[in-house]
Amino acid sequence: MTAIARRPVSRHTAPVPAFAELFEHEQQHLPGSEAAALDAWRRTRFARFETTGLPTQRVEHWKYTNIAKVANVAMGLASRPEVKLDDVQRYFAGGPLARRLIFVNGHLATELSHVGGLPEGVVIKGLDVMLRDDPDRVLAALAEDRALDASGPHSFADLNAAFLQSGAWIEVADDIVLERPIQLLFLTVGEASAVMTHPHIIVKLGARAKAHLIESHVGVKDGHCLTNLVADYEVGAGARLDHDRLQLGAAGTTFIGLNRIRIGEKGELKQTVATLGGTLVRNETDMHLQGSFIEAQLNGVYMPIESEHVDNVIRVHHEQPDGHSDQFYKGLALDKAKAAFAGKIFVYKDAQRTNAFQTNNNLLLSDDAEIDSKPELEIYADDVKCSHGATCGELDPVALFYLRSRGLDRDEAESLLTYAFAAEVLERFTDPAVMKLAQERLIARTPGGANLTDML
Amino acid sequence: MLTIKDLDVSIAGEDKPVIKGFSLEVKPGEVHAVMGPNGSGKSTLSYVLAGRDGYEVTGGTVTFMGQDLLEMEPEERAAAGIFLAMQYPVEIPGVANSYFLRQAVNALKKARGEPAMSAADFMKKLKAKAEEIGIRPEFLKRDVNAGFSGGEKKRNEILQLAMLEPRLCILDETDSGLDIDALRTVSDGVNALRTPDRAMIVITHYQRLLDYIVPDHVHVMADGKIRKSGGKELALELEEQGYEGLLGRAA
Repeated sequence: MTAIARRPVSRHTAPVPAFAELFEHEQQHLPGSEAAALDAWRRTRFARFETTGLPTQRVEHWKYTNIAKVANVAMGLASRPEVKLDDVQRYFAGGPLARRLIFVNGHLATELSHVGGLPEGVVIKGLDVMLRDDPDRVLAALAEDRALDASGPHSFADLNAAFLQSGAWIEVADDIVLERPIQLLFLTVGEASAVMTHPHIIVKLGARAKAHLIESHVGVKDGHCLTNLVADYEVGAGARLDHDRLQLGAAGTTFIGLNRIRIGEKGELKQTVATLGGTLVRNETDMHLQGSFIEAQLNGVYMPIESEHVDNVIRVHHEQPDGHSDQFYKGLALDKAKAAFAGKIFVYKDAQRTNAFQTNNNLLLSDDAEIDSKPELEIYADDVKCSHGATCGELDPVALFYLRSRGLDRDEAESLLTYAFAAEVLERFTDPAVMKLAQERLIARTPGGANLTDML
Repeated sequence: MLTIKDLDVSIAGEDKPVIKGFSLEVKPGEVHAVMGPNGSGKSTLSYVLAGRDGYEVTGGTVTFMGQDLLEMEPEERAAAGIFLAMQYPVEIPGVANSYFLRQAVNALKKARGEPAMSAADFMKKLKAKAEEIGIRPEFLKRDVNAGFSGGEKKRNEILQLAMLEPRLCILDETDSGLDIDALRTVSDGVNALRTPDRAMIVITHYQRLLDYIVPDHVHVMADGKIRKSGGKELALELEEQGYEGLLGRAA
């Protein structure tokens, strides 16, 4: 046999020089840069980003998304354009008593935010404030998260760390039940040139604490803007987090979100994510069930239209026994849109009596659209109940007949079923205002949806 | 009202006929029961009348109120006044029951050139009908049939029937999956809709339902056609003798 000489396969691509130039220029102006440890940490992470580069589609987790095409370009750091309260208010959720941090292109808009009257033991702050006031505390929190990063360096997490500028710091002490929801509202306002923003959300719920967190990521003006979000959610023993996330990106925006979730013994999480806009959206979730008897529910829906692209990657780690996780994700692709879902459940050796389920149903509504679904299980315990199921198809002909036999014409029946397919997930939002905003956007995206507006 | 003449139907893509030379005449105000063993073609008949895809009519005619029914789309048949209460009602999670019904009521009104019903009038009527049929108000807010029990689904079909007020109701095995109490309320709902200008075709496997919805005519179907017709006493005869006893081994 003749050996065939191969060129080494390139899994990463080198960053454009603009990143290094920008880092050198901005690094000393970033909040907390006078703290030596934080400064050193930012430099280390940037150096690693430079060495690693950006992932190509040869990297397993990036198989379905050519991220370098949109992210490996010269970008400045986003400025803080003015926004009017009127433009913001329609995205308010959580009711009149909600506590709210509002960010404009990643910068905390203090004058629009409202976090008053916090009970003792609860902290809701801009991360920029924390970086200035208590950089060591932030570093300690970030160091813990870094330990989770077992799969090797994450280019976008490194980039986020290097340019870490703002975001949210939320702490709820042991035994505190927060009745009033917290909303983090991120507005993206397109600028004349290409810009990026690197927010970081840190949420820590103490033992037996309860909170309802609403995250809204909304594009209010089209433009080339990359949001590179890292979010760390820690749910303590016996604690419960209800987490609603609504992603309504505008044209030209790229959203890369890395969500790291850790749950302690008897902790509960209910998360619902709707992706209903944005030129390119990447939702990556790494969830670790670190104690026994944990209940975790991950719901999601994505509906790219035109030439949008949505990529979901979910890894669920059952590390301890008697845990229950349920993933319920649905996708719709129209026009020339592409969507991908890759979900993997790991059941560790000690995680006996795990119940782990994953459902991913997709609706392909155009011949030019594409949906990839890749469910996976990796099980090392012997007494478990695990299942995954993925479907990809068209509207159910039996359901279409049912609606038409009641008098709806074909177009009306198709619109209603398309809406219903996605709406089933939206009904799982904890907050009614988020649900309504999502339903409105869903109707706007549904072909023939104008007929459905009187539903809400 | 409805004239079916020498109807032949095959499953699309298959050569085997399922309905062979079926004829039936239904006049306003009449209730016809169509009984038959599994595979006799009863459900196929109901789907062909309602216009479901997947069947090929290879012969015969169906005329409804002077129109050629077989040329019409399902929604046109609904507008003309045909309603099929299905054996397996479809679940539509994501759409509230009351919204779906309002869409259906107004779609029919639009097709008939009538003004749409206001939301308030609709809700008033819906609540009254739901109470009559024994459907609790929360079922109106829930998604269409999603998570409903077999009996709840059947009641929901009868609620649709009551709201849409068709001229011809086809009930396809409405009794299957119903306990005796549900059977009674569903039957009461159906009987309340019996009027001199409305006809019904009740398709069932068992005689039980016909104790509650008493038919004017009973037809026993086997192997794709009507093998025997008679009055309501035929159902009792059938109950005693069974399909084989009544029709011979061929059944």
